[in-house]
Amino acid sequence: MAALQRRRLLGVSGLSRTVRALSGKNEYDLLVIGGGSGGLACAKEAAQFGRQVAVLDYVEPSPQGTKWGLGGTCVNVGCIPKKLMHQAALLGSALKDAQHYGWNIAQPVHHTWSVMAQAVQNYVKSLNWGHRVQLQDKKVKYFNMKGSFSDPHTVRGLTKGGKETIVTAENIVIATGGRPKYPMHIAGALEYGITSDDLFWLKESPGKTLVVGASYVSLECAGFLTGIGLDTTVMMRSIPLRGFDQQMASLVTEHMESYGTKFLKRCFPTKVEKLESNRLQVTWKNTDLGTEETDSFDTVLWAVGRAPDTETLNLETVGVKTNSETGKIIVDASEATSVPHIYAVGDITEGRPELTPTAIAAGKLLAQRLFGQSSELMDYDNVPTTVFTPLEYGCVGLSEEAAVQCYGSDNIEMVCLRERAQRILGLHFIGPNAGEVIQGFALGIKCGATYPQLMKTVGIHPTCAEEITKLHITKRSGLDATVTGC
Amino acid sequence: MGWEEKQVRGYPEFVQTAQRYHGRPIFALFCGDKDAEGRSWCPDCVTAEPVVRKELHNMPDESVFIYCLVGDRAYWKDPNNEFRKNLKLTGVPTLLKYGTPQKLVEEECFKAELVRMLFTED
Repeated sequence: MAALQRRRLLGVSGLSRTVRALSGKNEYDLLVIGGGSGGLACAKEAAQFGRQVAVLDYVEPSPQGTKWGLGGTCVNVGCIPKKLMHQAALLGSALKDAQHYGWNIAQPVHHTWSVMAQAVQNYVKSLNWGHRVQLQDKKVKYFNMKGSFSDPHTVRGLTKGGKETIVTAENIVIATGGRPKYPMHIAGALEYGITSDDLFWLKESPGKTLVVGASYVSLECAGFLTGIGLDTTVMMRSIPLRGFDQQMASLVTEHMESYGTKFLKRCFPTKVEKLESNRLQVTWKNTDLGTEETDSFDTVLWAVGRAPDTETLNLETVGVKTNSETGKIIVDASEATSVPHIYAVGDITEGRPELTPTAIAAGKLLAQRLFGQSSELMDYDNVPTTVFTPLEYGCVGLSEEAAVQCYGSDNIEMVCLRERAQRILGLHFIGPNAGEVIQGFALGIKCGATYPQLMKTVGIHPTCAEEITKLHITKRSGLDATVTGC
Repeated sequence: MGWEEKQVRGYPEFVQTAQRYHGRPIFALFCGDKDAEGRSWCPDCVTAEPVVRKELHNMPDESVFIYCLVGDRAYWKDPNNEFRKNLKLTGVPTLLKYGTPQKLVEEECFKAELVRMLFTED
């Protein structure tokens, strides 16, 4: 049956890749579809074992026409540009504080979007180039093509110009990641709004911006836009940072509000229209007051979730199962899909964190298991992460809500189990450099640190991180936890 | 039209030449000065030059190849020299596509496939 399909396809496309059909041998040991964090890590690791590896990477332009080079979401429209712009905003705050420390800096300080954007974009392009050099150096074949399955060992790659190449491989890893969602039921959303795919590549300032969504993407973007001096509003339908500890999420949004970001809580947009002035008129419903309100903005940024990029892969043809609700690819603990020799890593996989470090680690371990005689599986427990809002929030382990659900509220005291050893289940920190702070504590959690051990750890003074070693007031006690002395 | 080569020495001459050909693809190879016998003080530059020259025919039409001698060893070692400060060069030899972040540094210049990729990639 498969042989019949293959011959039919070759007849239709008329290509010269008849080698496999004749000899039955696959061209590559590994084909990776998707050149992002997970895909590239897997490909480069496999190449270390002397294997024939190929990578397909293709960026479908956003509805607004934005596109970028090799490296995936993190490098081009995620972590990297985000952190740089967050840093730009933090520097703005530092400049304001600087005068109190004796620096002569004319106030108010002004920010020029295009200078920042160009620097960020150039840096990202240097990373694209760096990946190209690395792949070439490690002898990984790179195709700038959009891939789709013809059969479980054959992928059809299509260039922008429509040129086709057939690639066959013994093992295939799907690492195509995700793209931002557009709210399709809101009139004008698609034509007039942008997403994070576009924000970092804007040549001109977004101006007065409405960010719709309560995700970390929404809050981080709104945070740095406010920080560089732009009139910014966040519109949220319900709670901020769903899935994160809610006590911390409130602290994050409260700080943003006091820092200048406007919040439209319990509101959802109903339509977006373009005005003669080229501004955008947004109409929304306020569910608390039951009223309809409207305002105009220069930019509307949708941050309402991300969808897995599987539509054009042709997964049904080869039988790779996806989750019917999320559309993500279902994998087991070894990143295997429902089809032998086809694997998936990164944002495309169901039930995994949508993070770069986990995708990279999973990709590397997969390559080691496939070609390096390893049997080590990826450990997705206690993955630390940080939300880079103006007041950063870093965490590792369980949120209070998750811990209560897991162990019952009688057994939870702040972030640890009450009984016996009082193992720490989760640590949550809000403050400057939260990511730097939590990284070290993540090791402690991995080693099974307990509350008594934490109390025995001496703090470094003066720092923010030392407060973690002094946590002694419980929520249950009702006492005020505010620190006053030194 | 093919491509053409310009040989320059020192930072001001390099900038002047690059500006003159603004609008055309410009590739530049930066090497340490050569002595009277034509040998550079930079051994890696000696290795890289023939590799780069062999791939020049891969440059797009209308390209300008600027072969630039940066100066003597002492000048190059100074962390504040103009090439380091303004062009952000970190080592010699450096082969770059002017006006883009695309470059190859030191041993990367020894590899024909990387040089070819630099000349042909978008």
